[in-house]
Amino acid sequence: MYRYDQFDAEFVAGRVAQFTDQVERRISGELSEDQFRPLRLMNGLYLQLHAYMLRVAVPYGTMNSTQLRKLAHIARTYDRGYGHFTTRQNIQFNWPRLDDVPQILSELASVEMHAIQTSGNCIRNVTTDQFAGAAADEIIDPRPVAEIIRQWSSLHPEFSFLPRKFKIAITGAPNDRAAIKFHDIGLMAQQDEQGKVGWAVYVGGGMGRTPMVAKEISPFVPHSDLLAYLESILRVYNRYGRRDNKYKARIKILVHEEGLATLREQVESEFLQVRGGVLNLPDDELSRIKAYFAPPAFKDSDARFDLAALKVSDPEFARFVLHNTNQHAQAGYTSITISLKPVGGVPGDATDAQMEVVADLAQRFSFDELRVSHEQNLVLPHVAIDDVRAVYEALNGAGLGEANVGQITDMIVCPGLDYCALANARSIPVAQEISRRFGSARRQEEIGDLKIKISGCINACGHHHAGHIGILGVEKRGTELYQITVGGNAGENAAIGNILGRGIVAEEVPDAIEQLVEIYLKARSGAEENFLGTLKRVGEAPFREALYGND
Amino acid sequence: MEIVTANELISGATVYFLTEGCWGADIDRARVFQSEENAERDRVIKRANASGFLISVERETVRVAKGRVLANRLRERIRAEGPTAPRHRPQKPDIHNAVEFSHVSL
Ligand code: SF4
Repeated sequence: MYRYDQFDAEFVAGRVAQFTDQVERRISGELSEDQFRPLRLMNGLYLQLHAYMLRVAVPYGTMNSTQLRKLAHIARTYDRGYGHFTTRQNIQFNWPRLDDVPQILSELASVEMHAIQTSGNCIRNVTTDQFAGAAADEIIDPRPVAEIIRQWSSLHPEFSFLPRKFKIAITGAPNDRAAIKFHDIGLMAQQDEQGKVGWAVYVGGGMGRTPMVAKEISPFVPHSDLLAYLESILRVYNRYGRRDNKYKARIKILVHEEGLATLREQVESEFLQVRGGVLNLPDDELSRIKAYFAPPAFKDSDARFDLAALKVSDPEFARFVLHNTNQHAQAGYTSITISLKPVGGVPGDATDAQMEVVADLAQRFSFDELRVSHEQNLVLPHVAIDDVRAVYEALNGAGLGEANVGQITDMIVCPGLDYCALANARSIPVAQEISRRFGSARRQEEIGDLKIKISGCINACGHHHAGHIGILGVEKRGTELYQITVGGNAGENAAIGNILGRGIVAEEVPDAIEQLVEIYLKARSGAEENFLGTLKRVGEAPFREALYGND
Repeated sequence: MEIVTANELISGATVYFLTEGCWGADIDRARVFQSEENAERDRVIKRANASGFLISVERETVRVAKGRVLANRLRERIRAEGPTAPRHRPQKPDIHNAVEFSHVSL
C-alpha cells in the first residue's frame, strides 16, 4: 500500500501542529466559536448531539494492521471503546474531547493517517471497490489511480472552497461494488479495442434530497489524461455550480439544470486548455505509484472450496464461505468480508478488541492488508483458501463471524437521531429490530440477497435511495415516521427507489418489511430471481397494496 | 415553557442552564422559563454565547410533570439521556467551567 513520502509526512505533521495551536487558542478564548468552527471542520471535527465527532479518513478504504491497531487504541484511550465505519469507507469516533483531539491527530499522523478533508466543501476521501487488487472480475487495480487522485485533490488550492462537497468513487471492475453512479464523479475502468485501459467517466450522481444517478460524460478517458479531465470537470463546477442555495449546489443540480450536453461542451473546452500540461500523468509516475500496490507474494496453490461437501460436513462454515468470501484473481486465495452486522447489533460498529483481532488476522493471514467497504464491513483481501477456517474461527471468537454478507441483515445504516445533529429519526434501533426479525440463518437463506438501507434524514448517508428496500426516517408533529422505498440499486444498473406510501411508525417497520418479503417470496419465479428481478416483473402494485391496501 | 441548552466547549457535552443560575448536565434541574420571562431567557442565551465555553446554544420547549422536565422534541430527549440503541450515558461536561459561570450574576 501507499507510504507517505517526505512531503506527505511533513504536511500532515504541520497540520497537527497548526490544529494543536488552534485548539489551544480556542480554549483560551482567543478564538471565538465562529472563528474556530471552520478550522475544526477542516480537520474532521464535528459537533453532534452528545459530543464532538471525529471523522478519520481511510483513503480508498485501505489500511494495514498498524493503522487499525492505532484506531483501536484511539477508541480505547480517547473514546468509548468503539468506532463506527461509514459508507465513505471512513471511521468516526463519537465521543472525543476537544482537548484530546490534537493528541489523537498526532497519534494518527504517526501511522500515516489524518482527518483532513473529511468535512467541508472540498474533494472528500476517494472511495473504491473493497476488493480492489484482489477481485477476479477486475480489469485493473484502481488503487494507484485512487492514490493519484488523492494526491491531486489534497488541499488543491483551486478546489478547497467548492460550491459544495465533492465525492469521487472509482472501480476497476465491471461489477460496481463502490456505488460509483451515486457520486459527483464516478469512474469505471474500460478497455478499448486495442486492449488499452482507461476510464468511463460518470458525473452528477448523488443521494440527498434530490437523488440522481450519474450520467456518462465520457465513455473513455485514458490514464494519462484522467487528472486533466477531472480538473476540467471541477473547474466547470467551481465556476457554474450554484453557490446561492446549498440545496442546489451539488454538481448533480448543474447537470440537471444545464443538461449533460452543455456540461460536456464546457468540460471539453476546458480540457483542451489543460490537457497535456502539468496534469499529464506520465507512465513512469503511474508505475512509481503502482509499485506501492504490487500484488503480495502469493504462494502457488490450487486449493478450492468444496462447497457441496462443506454444506454436509459443516453447514455453518459453508454458509460463511458462501456469503463472506469473494472470488480472488489469484488461484488458491479468496477475499473475506468481515460482517459488522451481528444480528441485533449496531451496523458498522467495531469495538477496540474486535479491531485488534481483525488487525492480527490481517497480519497473519492477509499480507497485512485490510479494507473498509462502503457497506460498512471490513475485508481481508488476500486470504489463502487453506487459512479460511482459521480466520473464521478467530472471527467467531470475537463475535465477528456473522455469515450474512449481502443478505437482509447486512444493512447499511446511518447513525440517525441517536447521534446525528441533522437527523429526523432514529436509524439504529429500527435496524436492530429488522435484524432480529430476520436473524435466523434459514430465513435469510430463503430470502437470498436483499439489500436494506436506512437513513435518519433526507441527507441519505444510509443510502436508502439505493436500497432494494430503503427506509427513510422523517418527523411529523414530533413523531418519528419511516417512509419505505423499493427498487433502489447501488450497482452498475444504478436506480433510485420509489416511495410506496405514507410514513409508518417505528414499531410497524419490521412487520412492513416482513410483508414486502412475503410478497416477494410468493411472487418470485424461483430462488434465482432476486427481489429487484421480481419487482421489475410484477411492478410495485402488489408491494404497495401489501402495506397500504387499496388506499 | 422553555429551557436553555448548549454543548460545553471542551467535552462537547449537553448542558442546561439550571435553576441555580449555573450550567449542568441534569435536565430536571434546568431553569424553566415561562413566556413572560422571555427577556431573562434571552439574556441567558446572550451571556452563554459570549461566555466562550458554551457552543450551539439553543432554547427548547418543555413540559414539567412530576418534578421532571421533559423536552417536547424526541431529539432533545435523546440529547438529555444519551443514545438509545445501545444505551450510552451522556458525556460528562467539564463542571469547573459551569461553576465559574455561576459566579456571573444575571
Ligand atoms: S442521513 Fe441524516 S441522520 Fe443519517 S447521518 Fe446523514 S445527516 Fe445524519
